[in-house]
Amino acid sequence: MAEKSNVVMKDAKYFENRELSWILFDHRILGEARDRSNPLFERLKFLSITASNLDEFFMVRVASIKDMVNAGYTKKDIAGMTPKTQLAAIGRATHELVDLQYSTWGRSLNPQLLKDGLHIIAHHEDLDKEEEAFVDHYFQENVYPVLTPMAVDSSRPFPLIRNKTLNIGAMVRKKKKGSELEFVTVQVPSVLNRVVELPIKEGEIKRVILLEEIIERNISKLFLNYTIVCAHPFRIMRNADLTIEEDEAEDLLKEIEKQIKKRQWGECIRLEVEQGMDKDLLAFLKKELSIADAYVYEIDGPLDLTVLMKLYGLDGFEDFKAPKHEPKPVPELPAGCNIFEQIRKGDVLMQHPYQSFEPVVDFIRQAAVDPKVLAIKQTLYRVSGNSPIIAALAQAAENGKQVTVLVELKARFDEENNIVWARKLEKAGCHVIYGLLGLKTHSKITLVVRREENGIQRYVHLGTGNYNDATAKLYTDVGLLTCSETVGEDATAVFNMLSGYSEPLFWNKLSLAPLWLKDRFLFLIEREKKYALEGRKARIIAKMNSLCDPDVIVALYEASAAGVKIDLIVRGICCLRVGIPGVSENITVRSIVGNFLEHARIFYFENDEHPEVYCSSADWMPRNLERRVEILFPIDQPQLKEELRHVLDVQLADTVKACILKPDGTYEKVDGRGKKAVLAQDVFCKEAAKKAKVAKTAGESRTFKPKMAPTN
Amino acid sequence: MSFKTFAAISVGSFELTMKIFEFSGKNTMREIDCLSQRLDLGSETYATGKMSREKIDELCRTLLDYKEVMKTYKVDAFRAYGTSALRETKNTLIVLDQIAQRTGIEIKILSNSEQRFLDYKSVASKGESFRRIIEEKTAIVDVSNGSIQLSLFDNDALMSTQNLRLGVLRLQEMLTHLNAGRDQMEALVDELANAQLATYKKLYLKDREIQNIIIMDDYISPWAIRRAGNDPDKSTIGLEDFDSLMTLLRSSGSMAAAKALGVAEEKVPLVLISAVLTRRIAKVMGAKKVWAPGVTLCDGMAYEYAEEIKMFRGEHDFERDIIACAGGISKRYMGSRKRAETLEYLAITIFDSMKKIHGMGKRERLYLQIAALLHDCGKYVSLVDVGETSYDIIMATEIIGLSHAEREIVASVVRYNHSDFTYYGYNESRGSDFAGKESYLTIAKLTAILRLANSLDRSHKQKLRGLKAQLLEGELRLMIDTQEDITLEKGFFDTSSEFFQEVYSVVPVLKTNKKF
Repeated sequence: MAEKSNVVMKDAKYFENRELSWILFDHRILGEARDRSNPLFERLKFLSITASNLDEFFMVRVASIKDMVNAGYTKKDIAGMTPKTQLAAIGRATHELVDLQYSTWGRSLNPQLLKDGLHIIAHHEDLDKEEEAFVDHYFQENVYPVLTPMAVDSSRPFPLIRNKTLNIGAMVRKKKKGSELEFVTVQVPSVLNRVVELPIKEGEIKRVILLEEIIERNISKLFLNYTIVCAHPFRIMRNADLTIEEDEAEDLLKEIEKQIKKRQWGECIRLEVEQGMDKDLLAFLKKELSIADAYVYEIDGPLDLTVLMKLYGLDGFEDFKAPKHEPKPVPELPAGCNIFEQIRKGDVLMQHPYQSFEPVVDFIRQAAVDPKVLAIKQTLYRVSGNSPIIAALAQAAENGKQVTVLVELKARFDEENNIVWARKLEKAGCHVIYGLLGLKTHSKITLVVRREENGIQRYVHLGTGNYNDATAKLYTDVGLLTCSETVGEDATAVFNMLSGYSEPLFWNKLSLAPLWLKDRFLFLIEREKKYALEGRKARIIAKMNSLCDPDVIVALYEASAAGVKIDLIVRGICCLRVGIPGVSENITVRSIVGNFLEHARIFYFENDEHPEVYCSSADWMPRNLERRVEILFPIDQPQLKEELRHVLDVQLADTVKACILKPDGTYEKVDGRGKKAVLAQDVFCKEAAKKAKVAKTAGESRTFKPKMAPTN
Repeated sequence: MSFKTFAAISVGSFELTMKIFEFSGKNTMREIDCLSQRLDLGSETYATGKMSREKIDELCRTLLDYKEVMKTYKVDAFRAYGTSALRETKNTLIVLDQIAQRTGIEIKILSNSEQRFLDYKSVASKGESFRRIIEEKTAIVDVSNGSIQLSLFDNDALMSTQNLRLGVLRLQEMLTHLNAGRDQMEALVDELANAQLATYKKLYLKDREIQNIIIMDDYISPWAIRRAGNDPDKSTIGLEDFDSLMTLLRSSGSMAAAKALGVAEEKVPLVLISAVLTRRIAKVMGAKKVWAPGVTLCDGMAYEYAEEIKMFRGEHDFERDIIACAGGISKRYMGSRKRAETLEYLAITIFDSMKKIHGMGKRERLYLQIAALLHDCGKYVSLVDVGETSYDIIMATEIIGLSHAEREIVASVVRYNHSDFTYYGYNESRGSDFAGKESYLTIAKLTAILRLANSLDRSHKQKLRGLKAQLLEGELRLMIDTQEDITLEKGFFDTSSEFFQEVYSVVPVLKTNKKF
């Protein structure tokens, strides 16, 4: 096979646009919502996720592309699309996505809910007399006091409709003859539960109604001297992301900043309205919000499907939900053990959420009170509210340990939350570093320095997921606890660098972005290519969340062309195309969307029968490799390497949740016919349980159980 | 097992570095942390001679940070040494006092010879790799920001050491003044270096062929080590590698070069200067192989401290190097080696027998040895004013491993061996405490011994062979074996014993043990 040159490999036709690829990802989640083999309420959850994902996509991605268009930026992306063409394509694709969301809701989920015992009253007109009385009372007591109705006339301008809020717009007319139509609006208060349960009647199923319907029914009470001509809910999305998305060309920033200053508030980039909204009302909204037809979404169903998460939270219906998952204990680190002693016996690999995150919390808790511990250093990106880790760090500082914490304030949408606990840590006496100038610190690393009998000993935790005990129950991640001397030295160097000191003379084990990580990945891929050309064993298996770095993709194409078999497990965006003759015939891409969010980044390189396995906080995205502090760490112990290889193999064998990327750019569920059904996440759950059980029985033989005194 | 931790801070001209070391009983020294902050003190002080307030602030801020890091390891001790940038600051004492007040860290300024000695110790801390390489003719090229130091080894011992003002940062400063573009830089550095190196070659190198060069610098060493797969024992560079390094530096932008070399971008021009210098030196010396062990002053400081607290014993005998170096100087000024050795033997024998009385230690013994070796170097200039000219020569010659103050002691002892002793007594305006009182007493004590030893070999014929010295009842009994006539010696002995008695209140008595 003739090898194509690097230049040819970079051809735009070999790449997928990342936004469109993202939309396909949301489609795959929607696929789970449509999959009848999933429990009904889990399907609601998936549908809800597609909606909240889409909101974020608009606010961040669509917003910044729109900024580019507004600024007249015409540079093409890797797939050869200008911002303008991207925006048009995104518009078409999101309309399709939304249509599918609501047909899933209307045709499949909502009817099924009714069958399974939950009636959602779509229109307040469908309430019976008793219920009408109930909701009116509810309105008077709970809703009315928190509403702020607003009118628009010559003296009152169009009000600021807040981003992402649900509102009810109405056309009204003064109760005087010959009065003109006027616009009024009221926000559906987000402080109240949007799902209102109606009183249960003997022998009937549970009935609920949405808050906006209750308000709509009572809207005349808000505008007493007016006749309500029509009232409909609407929702807008603004270009609120004033911090420009880091992925975009920097030369643009100034231009965009100027644009933003011109605007009083973020431009409206999406308007969702109830289908069949009054024409005058719609026209008025479109004019006032200055939004084009392409950005208006007429919705057949409740606006903002994230409300389904609230439905999921209703009591009962346990039969229609997946059984609650309990993370299993890590056998190497039984509860109550001295973690440091255990780590000294050998590296410990943890797989969350199959295995518990508790040992990681314990690692810091024990360090906080251990008299031998001198210092704790940690990077924190997104932390849960009321985090036990924060509490332990604060305690450590109070106990006189040297505690250094790098708090990443730039974590999207989390800024305020982060500042609060960062201050808390500072008060306790921790040395807090508020991120790095121009770089987001995305690496997840903890270093504990202990003064032991034989000298200074360092313990390190490295992970692919955030130090967040809440998400650790939902995201699949890998963590490593080690006291390896070489990793310890590197970890110290990482924190020195994060404190502003120079890079060490050399790194032993870790590779750091934005310094060497990309080079390292390219080197590893090229090495496989070299081996393949020499006829030696070469193979790459890589699992990550997103793949869109052009340099990495070209390297993969070249490796594939050289004969390296490459299997990629990419949950989300994938700009690589498969099956291009002479370019990517040896590459497969699959995506797994399951009950847990796939989040671990694991990389396997065959290296001529000397396999190397790495884990990382970074995806193969330019922003991870070039604009963030990320860490790649090797897994050295042979047994742990095997374990991770097994994880990859099981995922490659998944026949239930895996979708395969086709040469035409679409995804398709694995054809499971004739194969044993393999559900990777289930397999891991069972394996974790088995491991924990073996450890438990092994432990039992070492303890005695005294008999209790007989009770009468 | 007990272990100690130690922090070594080096206030360099371009960087402020702290390394934390751990010493454990097994004669092992482990670096456990290294922090380094770019702090360009050199450019300013080389040009203006003063340190600005901003720099002092920055220095203090970082030192305070370092103190926090020291707490992280609960270090048992720390030391902070300053090099050329601080040395060349006119208001050094004021600056150092300010820093001490604000940070509680007292920075000691190293003289060049002390600094180089520590650097040299840091290379020696490499143990086996070092021992192997210096078996051949080897030069240590210590490239720092203010100057470079060239030390020659032959057969396992130090031969000579010279300082050239060709520091990397100093050259860059100079080039900036010359408004040199990047293209010209290479040629200019080469030209500047070549001029000084030609003189060096003529005077010190002569026809010696040097096989190996050990380079110490902060610029090409990281590159060399990374190239060697991060193994400092294998980081050797051939002459052809220099060519490829130069090509890289010439052809790529500074950002790409920084990445390829693994250094910060602002260091790239300094890498170029260091590379040109090293290549030129290798060519002048005819060396084929350059080894960059990547050690720094901090490593030497740790070595020094560990030796002091007896947690580490290096294989290499550094005192022998200092003495060998002094021997080299004596040879250059045509001193008689035999005479020097006899004098050294006599002086040391007296010194050792007087331990109870003089209360001096190992270090002073070393001064005496060096003074004995250099006792007549001034004769090269004048046969009349030997004391004064010797003093001047010693003061102008670097003796590696000796600080400036120590060198002054040695020079003074040699001077008073020939000239009248200058007394310092009580003075109304000064009182009896004055700076240098300690040194003054050391000089007096060592002079007394050297004079006595000198008188024993007045004829320079090495008539006295076996000398036995014994302290008995307020007398220093010196028994000598000789068959020859020692009238001359006896005569001078009486004169010089006066001063000896004055200093020690001990009467030296010379007895011959004539064997027939």
